[in-house]
Amino acid sequence: MRGRTPLLALRQVSKYFGAVEALVDVDLEVHPYEVVALVGDNGAGKSTLAQVVAGVLTPSSGQVEIDGEPVTISSPSAANQLGVASVFQDLAVCENLDVTANVFLGQELRGRGGLLRDGEMETETRTLLEHLTVRIPSVRTPLRNLSAGQRQAVAIARTLIGQPRIVVLDEPTAALSVAQTAEVLTHIQRLRELGLGVILISHNLNDVRAVSDRIEVLRHGRNNGSFPATAAHEEILAAITGAA
Amino acid sequence: MNAIDSVRDILTRNMRQSGIVIAFLAIVVLFAALNPNFLSPTNLTNIVLQYSYILILAIGMVMIIVAGQIDLSVGSVVALTGAVSAVVVVREGMPWYLGVLAALVVGLLVGIWQGFWVAYVGIPGFIVTLAGMLLFRGLTFLVLDNKSLSPFGGTYYDIANGFLNGLLGGYGFDVFTLVIFAIAVIGYAVSQWRTRQGKIAYQQTVESMPLFVVKLVVIAAVVMWFGYQLSISRGLPIVLIILAVLIIAYTLITQKSVFGRHVYAVGGNRHAAELSGVKVRKVNFWIFVNMGVLASVAGIVYSSRMNGAQPGAGNMFELDAIAACFIGGASTTGGVGRVGGAMIGGLIMAVMSNGMQLMGVPQSMQQVVKGLVLLLAVAFDIYNKRRASVLR
Repeated sequence: MRGRTPLLALRQVSKYFGAVEALVDVDLEVHPYEVVALVGDNGAGKSTLAQVVAGVLTPSSGQVEIDGEPVTISSPSAANQLGVASVFQDLAVCENLDVTANVFLGQELRGRGGLLRDGEMETETRTLLEHLTVRIPSVRTPLRNLSAGQRQAVAIARTLIGQPRIVVLDEPTAALSVAQTAEVLTHIQRLRELGLGVILISHNLNDVRAVSDRIEVLRHGRNNGSFPATAAHEEILAAITGAA
Repeated sequence: MNAIDSVRDILTRNMRQSGIVIAFLAIVVLFAALNPNFLSPTNLTNIVLQYSYILILAIGMVMIIVAGQIDLSVGSVVALTGAVSAVVVVREGMPWYLGVLAALVVGLLVGIWQGFWVAYVGIPGFIVTLAGMLLFRGLTFLVLDNKSLSPFGGTYYDIANGFLNGLLGGYGFDVFTLVIFAIAVIGYAVSQWRTRQGKIAYQQTVESMPLFVVKLVVIAAVVMWFGYQLSISRGLPIVLIILAVLIIAYTLITQKSVFGRHVYAVGGNRHAAELSGVKVRKVNFWIFVNMGVLASVAGIVYSSRMNGAQPGAGNMFELDAIAACFIGGASTTGGVGRVGGAMIGGLIMAVMSNGMQLMGVPQSMQQVVKGLVLLLAVAFDIYNKRRASVLR
């Protein structure tokens, strides 16, 4: 893996909110066919980092590179155009819209006169869900009628629209049952098999060790160690809490 | 799926929507039974003419409510645009189309003004349009110099009071009206058929063939009967054509266009919409611009119907339009509601007012009944939602 140009690289990225240092000189690399887990305690800067990559926040200093080229990710739609798609905790879906509408939200297929190409979008949604092995009654079901796990699956499916190369998942398994979590983890593995670079942010070390190739620890907004997924539980825990 | 199953499915699947249609039919039947004149050709024509401007307002209002906002200023905007038009046509003696144009431009400017404050300054629509309600009412008084202006007469008067009659002749009935209604029915049947074929192509469940045909025939019969009643009365009201064009156009915009989809997304989950790349500010801006323009159309129709402009015109129209949306199934929290629903909601209010007037129910009692209907409609909505969430 090392030596090749990473898909996404953060170099010495810092983010300040006034006097608060949310991120300080953070480095991170993500390669194709790789799931990188980002772990850390509350307030370690995980979500800030996700939002920097997703274009919600702009870094105070440092550089973001995609395919080795420095880029500025100024907005979520700019991120989409650069091939970065994100799933945010709890905020990802519109419950009043159906599955297809959610999957294509913000990136609808337009036909004549700005009208929606509903048929094509439905077909593509069905293909996507099959790729991810998601089971949903119908692509016309409004999201409010789906379970939390199914909604999260739809949120993950929507990241695949517009052929992204990097997917950022912020706590995708928070608030899910054990069975639902297992399902979402399979979807994440499918993303890797499709050749994407995945950043997975989570609190749950067991989930993380189950799917990721590499585990990066953040502590107080700084890098605090990089581990293979096979590393001992205690070792990673020590890096998170700063006990080592 | 057999016929009984699919009848039950239609009723339960969308209880809110079908409940409204059933309530509407029940009210019509009730008043028809209480008063033989209720379904007379003249009275049916009157209902259309009397409430057309509320229905026009409700089209714009339902989009605003779906986006999670509210507009309290539309009554004042109706007055202001009517007043401007009256100044142009009645006081200055210019041709009728310049009056229409002036009203539309004023409506557009009002919409831009309110859209700017809501979308780009970030003040809630409730506050902006509350201010607008006072502001535009005050401007109406200024424009009219505290006096009524009338009469418009001529073509302008015909916008809301004119009929297309005798274009194709006929004995005792107007052939042209019937032809237009027949085209509408055929168009509806074709679009329903295509939707059904589309659903079958995507392997979705549809109602059984006999039921589908029965549904179409019943709707066609009711519509053609209504058309016939109009044709033996005074012909096709011009305002009904305006209304039909607006309803079809806005149903397309809300259900089939990218903009419409984004309006629902903003109302459903503003934050998610923003993160997905929906331009929330642009959506908020344009729904208020749209409302301003539609309010000016309503202002033109109303001033034409009144054949003049009064400083107090359009008072409380905003409340009728909002009530129409909520009775028609719009959700108070945004994200849910349809143009078709709002139209039926508006018609329920129209039919109740008209029916009670025919029966000589005093104005005070009419208000009480309308208030209770609004309350019950929203209570029914909340009850359904709670039941749905328990079922899940």
